[in-house]
Amino acid sequence: MSVIEANHLTKYYGKARGIVDVSFQVDEGEIFGFIGPNGAGKSTTIRLFLSLIYPTGGSATIFGKDCIKYGPQLRQDIGYLPSDVFYYERMKVIDLLKYSASFYARDCTQRMHELADLMELELNRRIEDLSYGNKKKVGIVQGLLHQPKLLFLDEPTAGLDPLMQRKFFQLIQEENARGVTVFFSSHILGEVQRMCSRVGIIKEGRMIEIADIKTLQQNNYKKVLVEAAALDAAHFDIPGVTNLEHTNGSVRFFYKGDVNALMRTISGVTVSNVTIEEPTLEEIFMHYYE
Amino acid sequence: MNIFVRELKANLKSLIIWGVIVILFVMVGTAKFSAYYENPEMLAILDDMPKAMLAAFSLQAFNLTTISGFFGLMFTYYALMLSIAAAMWGSDIISKEERDKTVEFSLTLPVTRGRVVTAKALAALVNCLALLLITWGVSLVSARPYQPDSEFYRFVGLCMAALFIMQMLFLAVGIFLGCAMKQYRRAGSMAVSVLLGTYFLSILPGLSEDLDFVKYFTPFKYFDAGMLLRESRFDVTFVLLSLAIIVVSMAGAYLTYTQRDLYI
Repeated sequence: MSVIEANHLTKYYGKARGIVDVSFQVDEGEIFGFIGPNGAGKSTTIRLFLSLIYPTGGSATIFGKDCIKYGPQLRQDIGYLPSDVFYYERMKVIDLLKYSASFYARDCTQRMHELADLMELELNRRIEDLSYGNKKKVGIVQGLLHQPKLLFLDEPTAGLDPLMQRKFFQLIQEENARGVTVFFSSHILGEVQRMCSRVGIIKEGRMIEIADIKTLQQNNYKKVLVEAAALDAAHFDIPGVTNLEHTNGSVRFFYKGDVNALMRTISGVTVSNVTIEEPTLEEIFMHYYE
Repeated sequence: MNIFVRELKANLKSLIIWGVIVILFVMVGTAKFSAYYENPEMLAILDDMPKAMLAAFSLQAFNLTTISGFFGLMFTYYALMLSIAAAMWGSDIISKEERDKTVEFSLTLPVTRGRVVTAKALAALVNCLALLLITWGVSLVSARPYQPDSEFYRFVGLCMAALFIMQMLFLAVGIFLGCAMKQYRRAGSMAVSVLLGTYFLSILPGLSEDLDFVKYFTPFKYFDAGMLLRESRFDVTFVLLSLAIIVVSMAGAYLTYTQRDLYI
């Protein structure tokens, strides 16, 4: 069953583009990566799902129900961690968390304290006295304390130190193992690659690719390095080769096509070393944006 | 209930500040009254003033040497203060969430926007009531040295009822502006501008008969303290007009707030 579904979702702010004709589905239990640079429409998409803003065209559903019509009811089971967290400045952390918890049908006290312990949150400080990273931790606890079935994470790791980032990713993976569906928006491709099985790539408001990370890597070009004593770069200039570079003793190029043809070409020379690598998500991403 | 209680706590400081302002104002006013009290020279001075000027300061309707007359004069200033407080509370209680960027928290909770408006409106209403009670209390206390009669108490009671309707009117207008305006930063100043604009309009009908129709456009003319003092009754037309403005503003508030994009 698909948990999130966007059908030709379009949002204009007056004449300014938000997103245009975005369609995709996220299945139950999936961690779906949503990548794109700043201003591509990532936050707009999430805010549409949370009905903070209303679409100009198309529709969005969560658990099969319309996001606007059933918004309040759906949000019982949704956790949201925005990229910048803003809370009532004069409240204490504990009061804010209790306030948040009071809106949910289930009792959140125990989970709230577990999460606060895990994130090493000081509950008796005022929100206004917290650093950016600590506010983010409040956001994590607040977004998870009601044990949501669906999580929207909008650039979640900004402001967290590497140790906290690792804890956070562990936490998200544990949640996911319990069956929680995660919609993970980010422009940090390393973390998307690590966490997600499938990604959508958004560019200037349009979804330009939705694919498994594995397929994305396999169907893409490979990075090849050949080292040998005597090399003729022209030897490797076969169909599918691009960005051919020759430095003394080694040849580098990108290859897309039948691997067997590549192997035959390489076996034609006496080599001292060969590496064939899949591109990182970052390199694929750059390729889409160039 | 949770939103309502949180808003009450968050607004307590503002209520205290307004309470102090009202108390100081009444104390200063009464101190001035002690000079007018049963002072025939004061009456002579007022009689010599130009009529238009008296009208502009609504001085002509009252005998300022009696406590009831003086309170009648003060009514306009009470109305101005309580209305400003109400309009600002109304617009601020909605627009502050966007100004402080807390909408991304408060409206991603499982609540409808309608429920949020209701809870916030009720919290602001309680603030208005509290400020009205402070005004009432401090007025009665400060009048005690002047041996007020039972007529005075009834007059003050009527004035408070009138002030309450005006508070509700400007509260509703403030809430509407907070809900409807996308430029949330300007909702508060807009609310106060509307209020001061209508206040200055209220001077016009007193200056010329031809401008009498203006009274329908300014809530500061809906309740005439002179009439409250002499006839002990409200003009039903204006009570109904006030109610209509409140209902329309609140309907507009719910309608716009549930249908517009939140500005983040």
